[in-house]
Amino acid sequence: MSVTIMPEAGGAHATLRRNFWRGVWRVMKRKPSRLVGVVIMAGFAFMGIAGPLLYPAQLPRDTDALYAPPSWQHPFGTDFEGTDVVALVVTGSQYVLLTAVITAVITVVLGTGIGLFSGFKRGRWDTVLMRVTDMKLTIPGLPLLLVLSTVWKFSAAFEMGLVLGLLGWGGVARAVRAQTLSLRERGFIEAARGLGLSTTHIVGRELLPSMAPYIAMNALIAVTGAVYAQVGLFFLGVLPFEASNWGVMLNTAVFGGGALTTTAALPYLMAPLLAILLLTLGIVLVVDAMDEIFNPRLREE
Amino acid sequence: MITGQAITKTFKQRGNVLDSREVRALRGVDFVIPKGGAASFIGESGCGKTTLGRIIAGLESHDTGEITIDGTAMSSLRPRDRQPYFRRIQLIHQDPYSALNPTRTIHQTLNAPLALRAKQTGRSRGWMDERAQEVLSLVGLDAGSVLGRYPHQLSGGMRQRVVIARALTVDPEMLVADEAVSMIDVSLRLGILALLKDLRERLGVSVLFITHDVATARYIGDDGELYVIYRGQVVERGPVDTIISGPVHPYTQSLLSAIPVLHGLEEPGAQPVVPTEALDESHHDEGCLFARRCPFRTGKCESEVPVLGLGEGIPQEHACFHPERRAVVAQPAGR
Amino acid sequence: MTNASTAPGVRIGDLTVVYKTQAGELPAVSGVSLELAPGSITGVVGESGSGKSTLALSLLNAVQSPGRISGGSVEIDGLGDVVGLRGESLRKARGRHIGYVFQAAQNSLNPLKTVGKQLLDLGRSHGVDDLRGLVREAKELLGRMGLDGARVLDSHQHELSGGMRQRVGIMLALVLNAHLVVLDEPTTALDMITQATILRIIREVHEERGLTTLVITHDIGVVAEVADRLAVMYGGRIVEQGPTGAVLGAPSHPYTKGLIKAIPRLVGSLDEARALPGRPPTLATVPTTGCVFRERCAERMDVCDSDDPPALAHGDRIVACHAVGTSEPAQLQEEVA
Repeated sequence: MSVTIMPEAGGAHATLRRNFWRGVWRVMKRKPSRLVGVVIMAGFAFMGIAGPLLYPAQLPRDTDALYAPPSWQHPFGTDFEGTDVVALVVTGSQYVLLTAVITAVITVVLGTGIGLFSGFKRGRWDTVLMRVTDMKLTIPGLPLLLVLSTVWKFSAAFEMGLVLGLLGWGGVARAVRAQTLSLRERGFIEAARGLGLSTTHIVGRELLPSMAPYIAMNALIAVTGAVYAQVGLFFLGVLPFEASNWGVMLNTAVFGGGALTTTAALPYLMAPLLAILLLTLGIVLVVDAMDEIFNPRLREE
Repeated sequence: MITGQAITKTFKQRGNVLDSREVRALRGVDFVIPKGGAASFIGESGCGKTTLGRIIAGLESHDTGEITIDGTAMSSLRPRDRQPYFRRIQLIHQDPYSALNPTRTIHQTLNAPLALRAKQTGRSRGWMDERAQEVLSLVGLDAGSVLGRYPHQLSGGMRQRVVIARALTVDPEMLVADEAVSMIDVSLRLGILALLKDLRERLGVSVLFITHDVATARYIGDDGELYVIYRGQVVERGPVDTIISGPVHPYTQSLLSAIPVLHGLEEPGAQPVVPTEALDESHHDEGCLFARRCPFRTGKCESEVPVLGLGEGIPQEHACFHPERRAVVAQPAGR
Repeated sequence: MTNASTAPGVRIGDLTVVYKTQAGELPAVSGVSLELAPGSITGVVGESGSGKSTLALSLLNAVQSPGRISGGSVEIDGLGDVVGLRGESLRKARGRHIGYVFQAAQNSLNPLKTVGKQLLDLGRSHGVDDLRGLVREAKELLGRMGLDGARVLDSHQHELSGGMRQRVGIMLALVLNAHLVVLDEPTTALDMITQATILRIIREVHEERGLTTLVITHDIGVVAEVADRLAVMYGGRIVEQGPTGAVLGAPSHPYTKGLIKAIPRLVGSLDEARALPGRPPTLATVPTTGCVFRERCAERMDVCDSDDPPALAHGDRIVACHAVGTSEPAQLQEEVA
């Protein structure tokens, strides 16, 4: 059952990598729900990348059919200007998803980096960095964004992602530090120190992989968090208006179309909500597999 | 040769601000471990034997005293320059499950220290692979079937062998085995002990064995020295068999008396010593540290401090005012 | 329940416990028969994966899913067949009739509650009316084991040493007046001197209270110190059982022989110690046909590959090995035929 690796082969790494992906496939196959999650996430990724290319830059308006009910032509009806709601969701996904990915990357890179460094070095560095983290954790996000929105338009996804990412890394840093502190007492880290291995090796090759499931999970959860945060901000109207953003859609559906009191704008409200729900579902289904993917014991079984 | 003089270590226990307790883990310990020799630290948990082992392996600092490795006093070096010395003293952990990184294959685990050596000495990849096979065969494992595996795919005994193989990649001068077989299945323990013994004989690696089990210590090296440690102090020291056959310190006698007797095979020793229970005694530092538990204590023991040394025609060093050889160890039955 | 106040006898008959795995249901204990005589101390020795802890749990009918008792019986005097007990009657039996000191009892206390509170919880859950009497009994037991009862009951787990916690575990197992006590690894992680004290206490309390005691351990020394009878487990079977002194002095089964040889000794020649080759089987690697020990056996024969040796009485012991007693005429003829 086990694969014997020829030690002299420089291809040992390639074999290892192949085995890893084979293991990932095995883990995914174990529960159909995970495959569903992957398909959903792949769908959103495709939508975010290629979606806007499928539609003209200026979406067509059908002024005869404002708040049109669902039909074959408009599965989720139309908005207040007669634009197809599905087209709005698809074109709006790029900003939302790109922001979410950027937020997740910044959150995880900063959080993991600071947490690892702080937990591994301990002492003075730890004290200083954790003070900074605590201070950062006490910054209230919403008021800060309100202030920032007066000077910044957030028209580029990068700006939004940067701000959300910089606001979000604190929790990850604290958690990664705690994990590092407990892992560094483990026998294999001590053995690595005793063997005189470099700090880069110990942190990069010994500590980091042990935390991989945790980090991957945090990255995925940060994606959902970032989606909620920005959609919430746009919904509240805190940020400047932008036609095809999910949050703006929700805002106009509720405050413009009265979706909460009349049924006409209901599909218009439901479409972005469903998109968010589906994305969250996809992520939750995949998160479930992280532990098994990065733990060789669970992966191989 | 590795020696230590008057090693002390005090841990500060963080309580609240007003009540910060100090625990004296080591109270001035001397030791000598000759090249290729064997030594054992024996004592109960919390006696300081593990701390001492970690200090010797360079994983922990000590407060005062001097460690000398091959004639070089460590205090004369900057911390950075001590590392090459301490690298030659490798610690074998008690728990082979946490001593190997679960996310790395045995090949990766062995390769890391080998790559470092190869880089320092300008050797090739081929040398690394050869050396990995070599250290695995030294510990009695088949490289072909072990290298590609993850730790969880190996049994406890095999894992401990891998841990020893990893230590051998740096050509150590000494292995510090801290309770190295206590978490291994009974039928496999002797295999690991025999391996350590074999490495001593074949490679001339000295072995420092830290344990509460005197019999395993004896198996590693009956030519070695036994250090019986009580509350951070060596209370008796001498050749293994000398101490087993005639311990003089009441603490050593209590330890040896507590070893279960295999009825049917053995008969209990003639003069077992049972100490009074360990009380919370960390605050009582006057006189002999064992006095409060000692069935033979006198007034002198409570006021004066016995010093480790020879005397009264007893072959081993001891720190006791009333040394007396007692037959406490079980003897083979029938013969 | 007439004789609940005296030491009960226990008869385990052909007990099989299986665990559900991806490879189907695998037996952790297969066809084990063991009798605990009233008032005796029996020691079960085995390595990890030998099924000894599963066997101990079966006595309480407490095998957790994915495991289940798939066959056999556990007859306890005054209780009947425990395997058939369910729900409330089973819960009552635990504690009242069978006291269990869990593996690592040192860490099985609730860290947030004092020992006394946990004692009261135990009493209430078993419907004890006289809680004062229960506390008095607990203090007496603790005092018997050399502890200050009042102080211990007022303490939290972290205020007690390992040996003290172990004694608290024994107290909790006995305080409801159980007369059958199961101790799973009672001295693991304890220091030598503490271990000796605990073993002495087990022996003394056993005699004073008139108990039937089962000690589960991996350490032959522990069994040698306390047990009257010894049962050696390997791969889910009891391969040899008999009076402790006799089994240790003249082991019959090759595994018992090997195990005893593999213990380094304090006196005598070091070369007498021999390592057992191979390694103990896990649930997945236990052979399904033939003898479970044959891979590591020095006395292996052809028949060992095909036939599981039955547990047969040989004088004062019961041994499951083809190589034991083959000189007896009846079996010789069988082999020839």
